[in-house]
Amino acid sequence: MQLVLQIIANGLLIGGLYALLAVGLTLIFGVLRVVNFAHAEFMMLGMYGAYWLWALYGLDPYLSVFLVTPVIFLLGVAVDRLIVRRSIGKPDVTVVFATLGLSIFLQNAALTLWRADIRSVSTFATGSVFVVGGVRLSVAMTVSFAVALLFALALWIFLTRTMYGKGIQAVAQNRRAAALMGIDVKRAYMITYSVAVAAAGAMGVLVAPIFTIFPRVGQTQIVTIFVIVVLGGLGSVPGAVIAALLVGIIRSGAGFLFGTAWGELAYFAVFLLVLIVRPQGLFGRRGAEVYGG
Amino acid sequence: MLDVQNVTVDFVGLRAVDHASFTVEQGQIVGLIGPNGAGKTTLFNVVSGMIRPTSGSVLFEGKDLSRLGPADRNRLGIGRTFQVVKPFGGMTVLDNVVVGALTRGQSRSDARETARATLDRLRLGRFENTVARSLPLALRKRLEVARALATGPKLLLLDEIMGGLNPTEVNETLALIQELNSEGLTFLVIEHNMSAIMRIAEKVLVLNQGALLTEGPPAVITRDPQVISVYLGEPIEST
Amino acid sequence: MKIVDSTPISPAAARITAAAVLVLLLLLPLFIRNIYWIDLGVTVLIWASLATAWNISGGFAGGLSLGHAAFFGVGAYTSTLLFLRLGITPWIGIFVGAVLAGLLGALLGVITFRLKGPFFVLATLAFGIVIHIINVNWRGLTRGAAGLLLPFRGGPQNMLFLNLWAYWYLALGLLVLTVGISAAIERSRLGYYLVALREDEDAARSLGVRVVRSKVVAAATSAALAACVGSVYAAFIQYIDPDSTTQFELSVQIALVAIVGGMGTTFGPVLGAAIVIPLGEILRARVGGGAALVVYGLLLMVIVLAAPNGAIAGVRLLVLRFRRLIQSRGATDA
Repeated sequence: MQLVLQIIANGLLIGGLYALLAVGLTLIFGVLRVVNFAHAEFMMLGMYGAYWLWALYGLDPYLSVFLVTPVIFLLGVAVDRLIVRRSIGKPDVTVVFATLGLSIFLQNAALTLWRADIRSVSTFATGSVFVVGGVRLSVAMTVSFAVALLFALALWIFLTRTMYGKGIQAVAQNRRAAALMGIDVKRAYMITYSVAVAAAGAMGVLVAPIFTIFPRVGQTQIVTIFVIVVLGGLGSVPGAVIAALLVGIIRSGAGFLFGTAWGELAYFAVFLLVLIVRPQGLFGRRGAEVYGG
Repeated sequence: MLDVQNVTVDFVGLRAVDHASFTVEQGQIVGLIGPNGAGKTTLFNVVSGMIRPTSGSVLFEGKDLSRLGPADRNRLGIGRTFQVVKPFGGMTVLDNVVVGALTRGQSRSDARETARATLDRLRLGRFENTVARSLPLALRKRLEVARALATGPKLLLLDEIMGGLNPTEVNETLALIQELNSEGLTFLVIEHNMSAIMRIAEKVLVLNQGALLTEGPPAVITRDPQVISVYLGEPIEST
Repeated sequence: MKIVDSTPISPAAARITAAAVLVLLLLLPLFIRNIYWIDLGVTVLIWASLATAWNISGGFAGGLSLGHAAFFGVGAYTSTLLFLRLGITPWIGIFVGAVLAGLLGALLGVITFRLKGPFFVLATLAFGIVIHIINVNWRGLTRGAAGLLLPFRGGPQNMLFLNLWAYWYLALGLLVLTVGISAAIERSRLGYYLVALREDEDAARSLGVRVVRSKVVAAATSAALAACVGSVYAAFIQYIDPDSTTQFELSVQIALVAIVGGMGTTFGPVLGAAIVIPLGEILRARVGGGAALVVYGLLLMVIVLAAPNGAIAGVRLLVLRFRRLIQSRGATDA
């Protein structure tokens, strides 16, 4: 029983962090109809941002997150201008491989600039745990989780309470109708993409004290994020949150039960199965998989 | 020849086709009219197998089509065009039509011959090397017809192929339909151009809000008070 | 919109060019002595075959696969394991691998034919990763990350040669095979169907094109050929491990080579390999692996955004300009 609680607690914490990444990816798909293969690279950049600000200036990641996130937002604006916007409405090969190219580019730019060395950030919270009802929780993970919740909440308020957010939702519902209603669709694309990758960057900063930092760290995570957003239904924000928590728990449970490798396999098999049997995801609306609806 | 029995199609929160039943006899030209959103194209999609009806069935030459997809239905002899044209954009006009001829088991050179003959018949011959994507809309509509014809259908479903044509072009199209009809091809035609359809159809089906309102010869249909009231507020196009 | 006529390069001209290139490639051993260049040449040929195999389902049928390393790996491991465990020569193993991969490709085709765009891409990606995870963890069969060493036993009857040029001819033979099959498919009934399905699936179905059958045949052929390349690769390198055979990065590079060269055309993937592989090798040697991949990423972005028809489209354009130039010269002379 204690063990089950432990697995669930760990799973929820890690799942909550994944949610910040997954929500952005699913939002980009819902609004732009683009699968952002470079998404986890922005997380990687966030991690390096946290690392360098900590290593050079001793800045704590829980503070530097407020510096790094806006920078990644601006990077998102540039990437939207230069790459993403130009791929919208083009053939599948352009839509898919433009961001895949970006991912290869960013990963290896990081590798060239900062080498393959494995780095880590330590904060006041590193290594310490606290115990609630017999469940041991990492302080770093819990603090990161709490800050991630804060960001998720801000994102939620932005999407549902502000003009920009409502415009973005309208575009996600129906591009043409939104354009007719006078919504600046291109600006909605730009804001969506930039906000989403900024969230990924923020997540990167927050996990810097927990995960090890290396140039290919994004690649180790991106497929997990795909699993999450597909399970949740590509384009569905609540679906992504629920699926992220679920995947977090499944991962911490499966890793414990079968060992990591075979647990991985089981979960990709499930992913493949969902894509084939229920491509709209567990919570997505039907028709999204035919790509256009 | 075609027997549509009690077909109903439900989309999410919307009944697109509501217990529609009708028949098309061998050699007929049948018109299918109705206001926008009446469910005409949905009915075509059911007959050609693009969508499965919620209930009801479609018989072709006495054979139940329920378990057959669009490709197999085409191979039985049902050809169709699309209202929103769907050319194979990157292919040449000739190759577009060759695809249709190839599925009939013709060799590649025979298929090319069939395709050329079909293009000539639709006066598209001089565009055979044109990239289909770059054709003007009116010609792309004709390409739809050419492609479907190359599959050698027994029944041809035409979905608004006369939209945007000038009176001369409409007359030419009508003449072609009648000529093909005299060679034994049966037609089911969706058309917004009322006067055009009334000139060639032997029977007209009127669809309204998914249900079959009435059917009969053109002369009767145009005077039917129910039909007139359905079309009130929507101009009856004429040329 | 302007009415555009397609201006094909005449099949005869294409055939003559291909024959000339082939003769050049056959005679190349007379001119080159440096082992490094031979090695690079064999690598280019192998990649050209691999990208050509990908192009059959990815280019003609438009199913952008990011899991093709799986088939390459199945080929490499099947022929190698049959040789190591049962002493069966890779000359036979290559066919066993092709059949296995073909079946696997057909299976993947059957379960994914309905998926569109990114959903298809993600499904193939997941499939590739499943195969990779199995490869890494089924140590009893594949020895996992330790890899398999192909002992030099027997020589030519086991696809093992002392002379590097033998591999050159082996890889060239494989390329002729894959390009030949690709060209035959492009001009066949199936080729028409695949392109029609890629351009508009609904229209193709309404004309009697059977979706599942066409896509599955393409997927199986593509997978089987990729497996053949895998077997030849294993015989050439004589050491295989999961990273060099079934890794995700490899799947990406297969697609990249075909796209840069020009997907959906017979010779595009070959041209792609001739550009991308030497470029990558030179960069890797001069400025390091990371920088080489930076260039790959940039190249991929620029190509799909600015020239989605690939390098072969540029070549076509040059040929047509040249032809027009000659024609206009001829006209003024007369």
